[in-house]
Amino acid sequence: MKAFPVRRAIVGLASASAILALTACGGNVGSGSSGTEESYPTKPINVTVGAAAGGSTDLIARAIAEGASEDLGVAMPVVNKPGANGALAAKEVQGKPADGYELATLNASLITITPLAVGESEAVSIDDFEVITGLSQDDYVMVANPEAGVKTVEDLTKKDGLSFGTTGVGTGSQLAQALLLKQADIKGTEVPFDSGAPAVTAVLGNQVQVATVQLGEAKAQIDAGKLVPIVVFSTERNEFLPDVPTATEEGYDVPVSQYRAMVAPKGTPEEVKTRLKTAFENTFKTEAYQQFNEQNLLTPKEISGEEVVTEWTELAEKYKELTEEYGISLKES
Amino acid sequence: MDFLQPVLDGFGVVLAPNNLLYCLLGVLIGMLIGVLPGLGPAATIAILLPLTYGIEPVTAIIMLAGIFYGAQYGGTITSVLLRLPGEASSVVTVFDGYMLAKKGKAGTALGIAAIGSFIGGTIGIIGLTFLAPVVAGFALDFGPPEYAALALLGILLVATISNGSKTKALIAAAFGLLLATVGRDVFTGAERFTFGNLDLADGIDFVPVAMGLFGLGEILYNLEERHRAAKAPAKVANVWPSRADLKQSSGAIGRGSVLGFFLGILPGGGATISSLAAYAMEKKRAKDPSRFGKGAVEGVAGPETANNAAATSSFIPLLTLGIPANATMALMFGALLIQGVTPGPQLVDQHPDLFWGVVNSMYIGNILLLIMSIPLVGIFVKILRVRAAILAPITALITMLGAYTINNSMFDVVLVVVFGIIGYLMKKFGFEPGPLVLAFVLGSLLEANLRRSLLVLNGDLGGFFGRPISATLLVLFVVVAVWPMIQSLLARRKAAAAVDTFKTKENA
Repeated sequence: MKAFPVRRAIVGLASASAILALTACGGNVGSGSSGTEESYPTKPINVTVGAAAGGSTDLIARAIAEGASEDLGVAMPVVNKPGANGALAAKEVQGKPADGYELATLNASLITITPLAVGESEAVSIDDFEVITGLSQDDYVMVANPEAGVKTVEDLTKKDGLSFGTTGVGTGSQLAQALLLKQADIKGTEVPFDSGAPAVTAVLGNQVQVATVQLGEAKAQIDAGKLVPIVVFSTERNEFLPDVPTATEEGYDVPVSQYRAMVAPKGTPEEVKTRLKTAFENTFKTEAYQQFNEQNLLTPKEISGEEVVTEWTELAEKYKELTEEYGISLKES
Repeated sequence: MDFLQPVLDGFGVVLAPNNLLYCLLGVLIGMLIGVLPGLGPAATIAILLPLTYGIEPVTAIIMLAGIFYGAQYGGTITSVLLRLPGEASSVVTVFDGYMLAKKGKAGTALGIAAIGSFIGGTIGIIGLTFLAPVVAGFALDFGPPEYAALALLGILLVATISNGSKTKALIAAAFGLLLATVGRDVFTGAERFTFGNLDLADGIDFVPVAMGLFGLGEILYNLEERHRAAKAPAKVANVWPSRADLKQSSGAIGRGSVLGFFLGILPGGGATISSLAAYAMEKKRAKDPSRFGKGAVEGVAGPETANNAAATSSFIPLLTLGIPANATMALMFGALLIQGVTPGPQLVDQHPDLFWGVVNSMYIGNILLLIMSIPLVGIFVKILRVRAAILAPITALITMLGAYTINNSMFDVVLVVVFGIIGYLMKKFGFEPGPLVLAFVLGSLLEANLRRSLLVLNGDLGGFFGRPISATLLVLFVVVAVWPMIQSLLARRKAAAAVDTFKTKENA
């Protein structure tokens, strides 16, 4: 039973020392306003992720934490706290001290789409956070089984009785697909799956003919010719699928992508935010991080915190309007 | 030789020093807990699950698999030497194993068991190597209707095949199904039994449930059970069975391998059932059934071979379809999920290194076990003398710590305690936690896929019978459901007939 995993041990150690450090200098966090920020950070910074280890949000958080911890000179352990689409983690970080030692990697869908599908208690507002920086964009693609004989959105409008898989309730996949079906007047049944992988499997087996998933989940099969890409839902063409048209190009108003950003609890001091921002910007420049984005088919979207707030707020409103306009309810698919 | 390439690559994975080490560690822990009565492989895997989080997926599963089949070897030792089955799957070994030991042939019994285990395990792996890709090839034909039918069959088999009271197994399974409904509805987003608690929004997590029921529950139960002092074990001499013994048991080993392999694949099957079935089969086949229970070598060879073959083959439905066949496999399912790997049809294609690494590690693990099982017998028996008062708190502590680390959630720790108490009470009142856990896992599969099927089939239930695989599975379901009734009807008739003949004889 000597199988103590290294990563866990480090995380444990790091958080233990974090607690120690917190209790040791608890007194001067508030009082020494001018002196302490200069030396920020003096102890490990936790990065909470509202998704399980191994998913794309987790991988992104780990990649950015690795680069930034080198720049900041302290450890940045990633803490996974999955549950309720990430609302659990978001609410927890909201309540943490705003001293720059508790960060989170946030999904835009939690702010923009999830509120359309779930109750009040789960809704999370971006205004409760200080957004440090935007990270990247992860695009949705609609794919079809080759036997379905559909290659374009137009083909879909001519078919009847197709089944459309989504990756679950309250996801960008569900929203994007529902909007497109409605706007293009495509008749079909929507079938929710638990996540991307089973939806892709179902399309491969022709259990459902079409599905909308994140690009990373389907890229290998698209390249192998086992899935036909029909349309991507980003406003501009995706650099990894340059030949596939966007829904916007086809004349539909479906601007849906997944975005991620680094956030801190509301009230984090300006100096701390600036220091963190520098650390993240330096990470963006490293080859390792750029390679990571490339490998995971992520488009960099390294915009400022203010831009993130504006964009996400606009998107949330836009999605709300669109769903109302087309009479779509994510709650009853 | 396209097929062989990934298989060979898999050996490369296993032979990496790190993986070899964890394989050894796994089988050692497996043997150890096999020797300890009460602490079974399911409990151990449940307790160790969080520790695997920081290890590579392949390495983690190699170790956990090692624990599972290693336990099948270890369980034999105490059955033979102390008349104390270390594992449920070694219960039948007690009958003839202990009698052999009393005759001074403990070595023979252990030797035969080890050889049988090795052969059974190896045949199981060979079957797995060739059958799994075939099943995985069909996997794309497995749509929502097939999964729904398979889950339905699985739940029924779990409730009916399990050892012990059928009614209690059904109750436990029903409770499991009920638990599976907690959480946000995957189709409509409606909250079900969450009481506004965000921690319950995604439903109850499987891992703390398993850790509570199997881990903590077992620990609590054993604290109460293990007062009895360790008996002096029988002397072990002459480990290598004689030619005559080998010859006598070769048939049993062959039959046990095949029987165990097929029973292991079945949902609800597994090591325990196949060892029982193998013992029954050997007894039935024997020319002189009265020898059984008095030290028949076949009575050790058959079940011990079958439980190892089954332990191996039960990986097939998990690794190819993502359907756990028994409670231990449900834990493996959880382990894979923790690692970010979704067990299912895509596994062989997307993670060939993991698939073949794990499968091939079993060849190595079995060889390691064969080598270790004989010389280490003495040491393992000594472990039995460790007092439960020392062992139990340590395991309980590891369980709690582990539960916290998976999701960094105190809520999970509370869940473990709650389910630990439920598990303890269940054991105390004769309910097996296995059906509950399995129905819990299969319940969400069943519900989601049934509803998905109805969407795909446009609400037409008849569509289930329009598809060959789901139709076959549903017919099987009906047969399994009705069979006990027919059987009891036949038995009653036979009994009536027997009474009649008896009466006529008396009258004559």
